[in-house]
Amino acid sequence: MSQLSMSQLSMSKLITILLAFCAVIGSAVSAAAQSSDVVIDITQRPYLKTDVLVMPLDILSGGQTAARGGDLIGAVILGDLDLSGLIRTGISTDTPDSFQFEYLIEGRVEGPLLDEATSGEEAPLTVSLELMTYPDRQILLSKRYRPLAGQQRVTAHHFANLVLDMVAGGKGICMTRVVFSRGAGDRRDLYVVDYDGEGLLRVTANRTLNLCPSWSPDNSEITFTSYHGGQQGLYSLDTGTGKVRKILALGGLNYGADWRSDGKELLVSLSQGGDPEIYRVGTDGSIIKRLTVWPSIEISPSWAPGGGELVFTSDRTGTPQLYIIDKDGSGRRRLTFEGQYNDSGTWSPRGDQLAYATRIENLTRLVLIKPTGEDRRIVTGPRWGNCEDPSWAPDGRHLVFTSDRSGVFKLYVYDVVEESFRQLTFGDDPDITPAWSN
Amino acid sequence: MELQHKRVTVLALILMAGLLVLVSGCGNKPAVDTAPTMPDDMNTTETLTPPVVQEPKVVDDGNVIDPKTMDPQDYGVEDVFFAFDQYGLDEVSMGVLARNARILKDVGALVLISGHCDERGTVEYNLALGEKRARAVRDYLASLGVPQGRMLITSYGENKPFSVGHTDQAWAQNRRAHFERP
Repeated sequence: MSQLSMSQLSMSKLITILLAFCAVIGSAVSAAAQSSDVVIDITQRPYLKTDVLVMPLDILSGGQTAARGGDLIGAVILGDLDLSGLIRTGISTDTPDSFQFEYLIEGRVEGPLLDEATSGEEAPLTVSLELMTYPDRQILLSKRYRPLAGQQRVTAHHFANLVLDMVAGGKGICMTRVVFSRGAGDRRDLYVVDYDGEGLLRVTANRTLNLCPSWSPDNSEITFTSYHGGQQGLYSLDTGTGKVRKILALGGLNYGADWRSDGKELLVSLSQGGDPEIYRVGTDGSIIKRLTVWPSIEISPSWAPGGGELVFTSDRTGTPQLYIIDKDGSGRRRLTFEGQYNDSGTWSPRGDQLAYATRIENLTRLVLIKPTGEDRRIVTGPRWGNCEDPSWAPDGRHLVFTSDRSGVFKLYVYDVVEESFRQLTFGDDPDITPAWSN
Repeated sequence: MELQHKRVTVLALILMAGLLVLVSGCGNKPAVDTAPTMPDDMNTTETLTPPVVQEPKVVDDGNVIDPKTMDPQDYGVEDVFFAFDQYGLDEVSMGVLARNARILKDVGALVLISGHCDERGTVEYNLALGEKRARAVRDYLASLGVPQGRMLITSYGENKPFSVGHTDQAWAQNRRAHFERP
């Protein structure tokens, strides 16, 4: 769905409910909410949420197994709707007055059929889920799933995504995942985790460093930098088969891959014996165009949505700063002027802002800025320690980044609208260079 | 006592060099760079002055150094260190590299010079900075006569720290160019 139709949908939705109630969460924004009723945009504050009543799933048959499955699916749907930032959920009509439910989700779970249950193999549940208007119960969405135990989460994510599309007109991120590099010492492996922190999975095991992953637009590949014989190369993991292919290993640095949204090209930094420069390469590793010819470090490229421009880091002035150029390398303009150390610029999929990392008083902090260089906003305060490597979710509203506030780098998610944080990964090993899937 | 120690070292070095020339002469490796007749007088005289700080550790009964099985540290090559956010070589580093150059020329080994950074700064920029460090070391060694073709470079940035602490001391340990067997 295009950005335009998405925002139109959201706008009409929001206008209809604007005067009905004010569902602002968080005291910091409630004052501003009352003053603004002209411009409405879900990525701008104030913001309103749609109230959805989510009833516990009815267990029709299947006993404990079905009950556990039903509980899990219900809980995941609730979690997804809450995490979206677009919906406020209630599980009972007995809620505070500020709730005005517009939608209702109901579901039923049935145990395995008799012949399935006696076959000895694991048998699927039958799950029926419905979204309807409230209170008049017009069915908007009716889905039937047959998940095995390991598929119950994805079933819930799938349905929640459909609900978000229909109710909030937002691009649901319930099916998305984050890939990142975890480990210490001589090896770091790539791991994938669901956007809600569940389903952690290691995807490399080659006893070396694996870094800086990037998803292809259809999520069928994860392109990353690895070392072979001590030398960097750019490799790509087929997320369906698990097979890894080499894209490039030109000597020197081969890193910072960023897929263009049409899936035909990547941006990458290659040093080839000199300082690293920005290149456009084909998915087969063929060099399409060298974009920078500067006697300095040029790294961390990131496409603007649509691929007309890109942002990257250069230390041509003596300190790393962000620059924007056109896709053919022309039209250079400097984006950052504040700070002596700026890197890791990444363009929001909505195109309206970029996130990057800046050094302030010996700490690396997360910053948002408009492509014009205006509206620079520091996101993480000193208590967040060092914050690095932001990567946007496809909704343009959530960001994943690393912070060492706990003493070791872990992943955190930031909601740029609510200005709220949640921790995504846990454990003792450092987690770095996350990338959110599409 | 110490003088004697030094003499042994000198002897060992000369023996090693001789053996290596012999070995490389017999084998199929080009002997150009281990030949004692260096065109550069400075280097020749320096080779005769023994490196006193670091003696080659593994010399089994006066036997050869095998760079294919031994790490550069084991035959006396030392790492060099850098200032915060810098890749320039200071006098101490240049001194270390002068010794490294002599050893590398004698041994004729293929080495991988890896650049490392402390944990401050971004992963991406540190990878680039680490490579600049490795390249600065390689270029200086090349200027001292170590054949460029025998030195590979790479960068691990902040990803392979030698010290895992978060102190100034740990950081100083991690800002280095390290010599590895490729």
